[in-house]
Amino acid sequence: MTTSPIDFSLLAKSIPDLLYGALLSIQIAAGGCSIGFIFGTLFGLAQARGNVVLRILVGLYVTIFRGTPMLIQLLIAYFVFPQIGIQISAFWTAILAIGMNSTAYVSQIIRSGIASVGIGQLEAAQVLGLTKLQTIRYILLPQAIRVIFPALGNEFVTLIKDSSLASIIGVTELAKQGSMIQSQTYDALTVYFGVALMYLLMTGALSLLLSLAQRRMYKHATT
Amino acid sequence: MLRLENINKSFHEKKILDHVSLRVERGEIAVMLGKSGVGKSTLLRLLNNLETIDSGSVYLDNKKLDMDTINRGHKIGMVFQEFNLFAHMTVEQNITFVLEKVMKKSKQSAHKTAAELLKHYGLEGKANSLVSGLSGGQKQRLAIARTLALKPQIICMDEPTSALDPLLTTHVAKTIQELSDEGYIILIATHDTALLEKLNCTIYLMDAGKIVESATSMEFSKKRDAYPVLDSFIKGKK
Repeated sequence: MTTSPIDFSLLAKSIPDLLYGALLSIQIAAGGCSIGFIFGTLFGLAQARGNVVLRILVGLYVTIFRGTPMLIQLLIAYFVFPQIGIQISAFWTAILAIGMNSTAYVSQIIRSGIASVGIGQLEAAQVLGLTKLQTIRYILLPQAIRVIFPALGNEFVTLIKDSSLASIIGVTELAKQGSMIQSQTYDALTVYFGVALMYLLMTGALSLLLSLAQRRMYKHATT
Repeated sequence: MLRLENINKSFHEKKILDHVSLRVERGEIAVMLGKSGVGKSTLLRLLNNLETIDSGSVYLDNKKLDMDTINRGHKIGMVFQEFNLFAHMTVEQNITFVLEKVMKKSKQSAHKTAAELLKHYGLEGKANSLVSGLSGGQKQRLAIARTLALKPQIICMDEPTSALDPLLTTHVAKTIQELSDEGYIILIATHDTALLEKLNCTIYLMDAGKIVESATSMEFSKKRDAYPVLDSFIKGKK
C-alpha cells in the first residue's frame, strides 16, 4: 500500500496558522492595491494630461520602480524608513512598498486607458461646458477603466502573489507562516503544498470576481 | 445677430483663416462651403473655443463674446462630424447628464427635458440603449438633441451629412431648416453640395482661408451666372 507524500493531518493542523497568514496577505495586497489604484490613477492622469514637469517626474518614478526588483524596494523601505524618521511596522512598510511599486504599473495602465479615449469625447465635454474635473470624472475615467479593466485586474491578482515578499522583512503573512511551520515540522512538501493551495484559492477567487465584474460591465455596455 | 470681424488663425505659420468676416441673423443658416482644408471647420472650432483665435472678434447682438469662457455660457453649441456622443452612456443619459451636471437641473427636470427632446427627434424608443446601438441618422439626431438641451443661441454643425445617405441627408436638412425657423443662428461647414439644394441658406464659399464668394441659396438658384466661382465649385469644376 502506497502512502500519500502529503501529510493531510499536518495540513489540517496547519490550517489556522495558514489562514491567519492568508488574512495578512490579503490585507497587504488590499492595502497595496488601494495605494496603487489611487496614486496610479493620479500619476497616470498627470502623465497623460499634465504639464511637462509632471510628465517628467512621473516618468522618472515609473522608470525607477519598474526598473528595480520589488524585493529590493521592500528592503530599502524597511531599512531606510526608520533612518529618515519614519517609524512604522514591517506590516505597514510592506503595504507602502508594494503600493508604491504598484503605483508605477497602475499609472501606465491608466495612461494607456486614457489614450484610448478619443479626443472627440473630450472636445464634446468642453463644448458642453463641463469643467476639467467633471470631464475626468464622468467622461475620461469611466471609459478608460472599461478598456483597462482586464490589465488592472491582472495587476491586482499579481499583488496577492507579490505580498509573499513581505516575509523577507518578517511579516507573518502566508509565505512566512508556511516557512515557520516547515522549520518546525521539516515537511516542506506538505507545508508548501498547503501554502500554494491557499494562494491559488485567493488568486482564483479574485480572478473569478473580476471576470464576473467584467462580464457584467460588458453586458451593460452592449445593452 | 452673430458677427465675426476679421478672424485670423494660423497653424505653424500656415494661414488657415485670413480676415474672415461675416454676419448671420437669427433664423439664418450660414453654410461655409469649400473643399477640405480651406478653414471652414476651423472657423466652427474657433467659435466653440476648441482652437484659439489669433486675432479678430466675435459679437452676438453687438456684444463682444469672451471666447475663453464661451463654453460655460452655452451661447454656442456644436454638432460634431463624428457626433462625439458619450459612448459609455445611454441615449437618455447623453442628455440628462449634461442637464444635471452642467445646467444643475434636478433629476426630474432633466428627465422631462430629455424625454421631450427624444420624442421630438424620434428617439424615445431608444432612451435606454447605448449610443453604439444607434444608426448614423439616429446619432446625428441625438447629437442635435444634446446640443439643444443647453438652449444655445448659435448651433455649429461640422459636416452634418458626410456620413449619411441621401434620404437621411434630406431628413437632416429638414431638421436644420426647422431649427432655423425656430430662430437659431446656424453655421454649417460642409462640402456636401447636395445639402445646399435642400436648405434655404446663405452660402459662403471659402478658399485658402478666405470667403471668396457668397450668395443666398435663393439668389444663387435664380442667377447662377452671377456667382461664377460658386457655380464652378458646385458643378465640381473647381
